[in-house]
Amino acid sequence: MLTIEKVSKRFRAGNYGVRDLSLEVKSGVIGLLGPNGAGKTTLMQMIATITRPTSGRILFHGEDVVKRPNALRRKLGYLPQDFGAYDNLTATEFLTYFAALKGVRSKQRVMEMLESVNLHGVANRTVGGFSGGMKQRLGIAQALINDPELVIVDEPTAGLDPEERVRFRNVLSEIGFGKLVILSTHIVSDVESIATEIAVMKNGALLTMAPPETLLRTCEGHVWQSVVSSEQFDQLRTTLKISSAVRKPDGVHTRFVGPSPEIAATAAEPELEDAFLYLMNFADAGPPPPPA
Amino acid sequence: MTASLSRIGAIVSADFRIRFRRVSTVIVFLLLSAFAYVWIPAPSTGRTLIQINGQRAIYNSGAIGMGTASLGMIFVGLFGYYVISNAIRRDVVTRCGVIAASTPMRAGEYLFGKFLGNLAFLATFVCGFMLSSMAMLAVRGEARLEPFIFIEQYLLLVPPAIVFVSAVAVLFESIPWLAGKFGDVIYFFLWSTVIGLVVANETTHGGINWARCFDFTGFGFMIGQLQHTLHTHSVSIGASDFDPTKPTIVFNGLTLTPEWILPRGISLLTPLLLLPVAALFFHRFDPVRTGRVSGKGRRNWIGKIQNLFKPLSRRAFLLLTLSGRSGSFVGAIWTDAALTLTLYPFVFVAFVGLTIASLIAPLAGVLPIVFAVLALIVSDVSTRDARAGTTASVRSISRLRENYVWWKLGSSCLLSFLLCMVPLLRTIAHGPLALAALIGGIVFVASTATALGVTTANPKTFIVGFLTFWYVVVNDKGANPMLDFAGFYGRFSPTTIALYAAISVAAIGTAQLLYRTRLARA
Repeated sequence: MLTIEKVSKRFRAGNYGVRDLSLEVKSGVIGLLGPNGAGKTTLMQMIATITRPTSGRILFHGEDVVKRPNALRRKLGYLPQDFGAYDNLTATEFLTYFAALKGVRSKQRVMEMLESVNLHGVANRTVGGFSGGMKQRLGIAQALINDPELVIVDEPTAGLDPEERVRFRNVLSEIGFGKLVILSTHIVSDVESIATEIAVMKNGALLTMAPPETLLRTCEGHVWQSVVSSEQFDQLRTTLKISSAVRKPDGVHTRFVGPSPEIAATAAEPELEDAFLYLMNFADAGPPPPPA
Repeated sequence: MTASLSRIGAIVSADFRIRFRRVSTVIVFLLLSAFAYVWIPAPSTGRTLIQINGQRAIYNSGAIGMGTASLGMIFVGLFGYYVISNAIRRDVVTRCGVIAASTPMRAGEYLFGKFLGNLAFLATFVCGFMLSSMAMLAVRGEARLEPFIFIEQYLLLVPPAIVFVSAVAVLFESIPWLAGKFGDVIYFFLWSTVIGLVVANETTHGGINWARCFDFTGFGFMIGQLQHTLHTHSVSIGASDFDPTKPTIVFNGLTLTPEWILPRGISLLTPLLLLPVAALFFHRFDPVRTGRVSGKGRRNWIGKIQNLFKPLSRRAFLLLTLSGRSGSFVGAIWTDAALTLTLYPFVFVAFVGLTIASLIAPLAGVLPIVFAVLALIVSDVSTRDARAGTTASVRSISRLRENYVWWKLGSSCLLSFLLCMVPLLRTIAHGPLALAALIGGIVFVASTATALGVTTANPKTFIVGFLTFWYVVVNDKGANPMLDFAGFYGRFSPTTIALYAAISVAAIGTAQLLYRTRLARA
């Protein structure tokens, strides 16, 4: 469905947002993981035809969207980072506006979308009075109003409370069937339950792309847990990557990622957060391990 | 085609709703309508709206229609631009523009929609003003209301102004380096130049001339018609005292004579040519071109000059923050002034340039330029916290929380005195009164900029207001001593100094009151 061939984005100041990135994806939910500044947003903006790559090709159903962006735009739903909405419009008016821009004229469709994101009860309230979560749900409604084949959502859960975050994740997982959803985030828990594949980016390059279970194997044998003293904990922090630490009466219950530690520690079952930490800090970019 | 129209319609409709649901818009709308009450005084009070050759024009539909239409046109032409020139910027800030850019919408459709949105907004304002002016004629008129003649005056004068302003706003918003404060200033001079050229051409040449085709303001047409029907171009519009001993004059309004049909048509349509130009420059919300990507760097010419002076401003910042580290209120003022220098290294260019100019050029020539630059610099000081979202952080500092207005006033004054150092030193030679006038002028600029900035959180309010006032002062060249607010032309009196000092105190007092009220509610 979507093919990215050696795409780079070089800014005028000389630095690269994305460099020589290639990937191919079909349908499902693709989680794009990476730390801040990894190039996720730049990549998504290039796919969404907002900004042009400096080099490389982006193909959607075989059609070059850099040369012919409208081929994709008709089938695209996009929710940018820090989406703000027009505070003085009601939810219905806001959605009707974007429906018109996308060539959708059905009022019925607008109401259906509001209902699907559970905003039908506040359809005639101005957006200015909405919570962050409600605004994000309105954002996803506008992204889906044209029944797109490709949905791009950039850091959609930033600033949401835990309940809204779970609700938003559920909305995304429901729309994943038969479509390609690309969800960028730096929060691992946002993608671990809904992503069919996870792409990890760092410094503008793609480190790896694989299903979550394959990704977990990359750090097998590199995740440890131990109960340490506060002094030991401070020392550990300098040499290894701590993925969690809880202070209890018997010491600090620590989980960490890295090579075999010098202290007494037992190997732990890897989680996606561990795999992410491992990839970011200890692994070189390269192909994912073969399936077991 | 239908999809295209539907998209344009949606943009216009959304823009209209967004603007008219703002309380500030409704207040301005009501105020403008209320101006009709002030601008059309009852002749029994000794004041009138229109005088032609020093004779009071009878209040009929033609005279009041033309008078109020020309005033409305000035509002649309000058203030209208500053009200509407945020349509594209709003989409950049809310990121809704990025979503729009990811749809099949064409850039041309978007820009045309924004243009029509501007047009609809300004036309609605003018209609409201026209209706309230009609109502005033019904109340204070000396002849019966003839709606068609009244509306005709508006149709003859205002549409080219609305089209021009709407198109220029779209063009300036599409060109990144004209989309901000620089564009605001350029527009002011563009508008002034257009009026000046057209009026000068009409009063000196008359007859058919090329300038008529660029008479977006309608002033040339008005002067030409007055010359044609009343054989004069001496007309005064705006509430003023009249001489009751002179006979009244009947003016039945402007009519479209054959020689004006083509120029008015061209004036109406020429601004539309700016839209394709805007489309050439339009960024389509590409973050690289809108400046929302950190890696982009500043590549326009203003940015290059800014970068050139950045090392100097950084060193100055270190030097100046030494005082800020003391933790005192004066230190905080010093630090805020230093922040302006760091944020806008261009201020250094201005400082160096104006210092050299102040040393070699006559004060009367250089002072107006110093004050125009000063206004641009200080307009940012009291508005940047609200725009950058740092208000809450500032309010967490107790001594600044309560004294925010004084802090910003201090910072503005400090920058102003720094910029005017050489003129101040040179003015000492002209005596204490001249020095007092210049100091009073500086404080007047700093305090009104602070007051309007704190009140509206928008630098445009002060820039537009002050540049309009500045334009009047510079064109008056000291003929009216009360306008010589900073002693540009040495025509001020102690009363002038006292007047501007009083305005400064009132402005700051009001701003402080308003700020404290807001603070109490927060």
